[in-house]
Amino acid sequence: MAPPRTYRCESIILSYTPVDEADLLVTMYTRDRGKVKAIGKGARRATSKLVGHLEPLTVVNMSMANGRSMDIISQAEVVQSFSELKGDLDGISKGLYLAELVDGFGAEDSPNQNLYQLMIDSLTVLQADPESDMPLRFFEFHLLQVSGLMPELYHCVECRIELEPDAHRFSPNVGGTLCLECNPEDAHLRPLSLRALKVLRLLDRSGIRAASKLTMDDSLADELKSLLSTTVSYWLGKEIRSNSFLERLHNESTPGVYK
Amino acid sequence: MTQENISGAAPSLSRLVQELNRLPGIGPKSAQRLAYYIIRLPDDEAYALADAVTSVKQNIVFCEECQNLTDASPCQVCSDPRRDQTIICVVEDPLDVLAMERTRSFRGLYHVLHGVISPINGIGPDQLRLKELFSRLDRPEVAEMVVATNPTLEGEATAMYIRRHQGRSDLRVTHLARGLPVGGSLEYTDETTLTRAFQGRQEI
Repeated sequence: MAPPRTYRCESIILSYTPVDEADLLVTMYTRDRGKVKAIGKGARRATSKLVGHLEPLTVVNMSMANGRSMDIISQAEVVQSFSELKGDLDGISKGLYLAELVDGFGAEDSPNQNLYQLMIDSLTVLQADPESDMPLRFFEFHLLQVSGLMPELYHCVECRIELEPDAHRFSPNVGGTLCLECNPEDAHLRPLSLRALKVLRLLDRSGIRAASKLTMDDSLADELKSLLSTTVSYWLGKEIRSNSFLERLHNESTPGVYK
Repeated sequence: MTQENISGAAPSLSRLVQELNRLPGIGPKSAQRLAYYIIRLPDDEAYALADAVTSVKQNIVFCEECQNLTDASPCQVCSDPRRDQTIICVVEDPLDVLAMERTRSFRGLYHVLHGVISPINGIGPDQLRLKELFSRLDRPEVAEMVVATNPTLEGEATAMYIRRHQGRSDLRVTHLARGLPVGGSLEYTDETTLTRAFQGRQEI
């Protein structure tokens, strides 16, 4: 029996590119199929039934038809629009940062429901407090986890001894934390403060809502931000482009207590 | 496309196909069709096309005021004394100016950004004509800025960025109304558009 020519899927829109006269090439992450690229025919026309349903950071129920080279979006219905998040510049820039990471780590024909749920949960928490950076840190950490790249936080990755409550070192290249006795040749090696290690372990053990309530001073926040975004960028193998706009907005805002 | 792909074709024809193939939305087959169409054109039409391409590259400049594409700076709109100098409509692209002018309902000035902030594509505020906009907004005669970026996520982000960074407290900052398109259908309208259409409902 021939496989069905149409299918339905729940997905979150990551980005789109205008193609041809009025079409959109939409990149989405689906709950059951992983990353999917599909064409929205005529979706740029103001009267298209797809218009408004394919904006990035929108959860959509899709009806799709298998195309020769690419699937075609036949129907789209918004499930969750995250409209409050999209009404805030910080919220948009952070949401797009998450979308770029999901696009980079998500693979086509390789569903990862944990990654899908992580994205939805992170956007939900971010929507409640778009100024907070903690949902981004939680997302970066758990993105590594659901992608099978979880850094080691409890034992030295070289000698395997249990880590003492002390300052250590960290490298994504060797897979996590190193004790002070081990000195592998590694250009990615960086110091890891005890406070940062404790926060990483907290991120490992807690849910996103609890983690998002955590407050910390600027130096600890900067250390975590640098460590996690560098690690994510290392595994992605390229620079995260939306990070520079995020940094710009952060630098333009009044410095104060990290939320 | 390389010349090897169309072996047997004359080198000048191959070159034309290659150049057409660089255009957005033009694949190898379309490029070949266009090239053969151009060959079959009468001489005067083909030379007129070539002349138009040369002329546009030699003559088009950015208007020093609105940053729109023009033959002479300042452009016709900016140098027209009948236009309302107190209101500036900010648009993404030169094509948006043409769309607005077709309505004949706006008599103010424009400012063309030449894009929108698109973090995922690495396009930030510095790649847009924002400095020029903020400099124009400093003029005391400007009383209102209409931000007419597209109602997309990136268009909205750009509008918010402009709103946040313009330095005048006495400037009226507006954006175009959001709602249902003429010829649209309620059934297929997304919830955000429908909500905004309700918020902007009018007496009939």
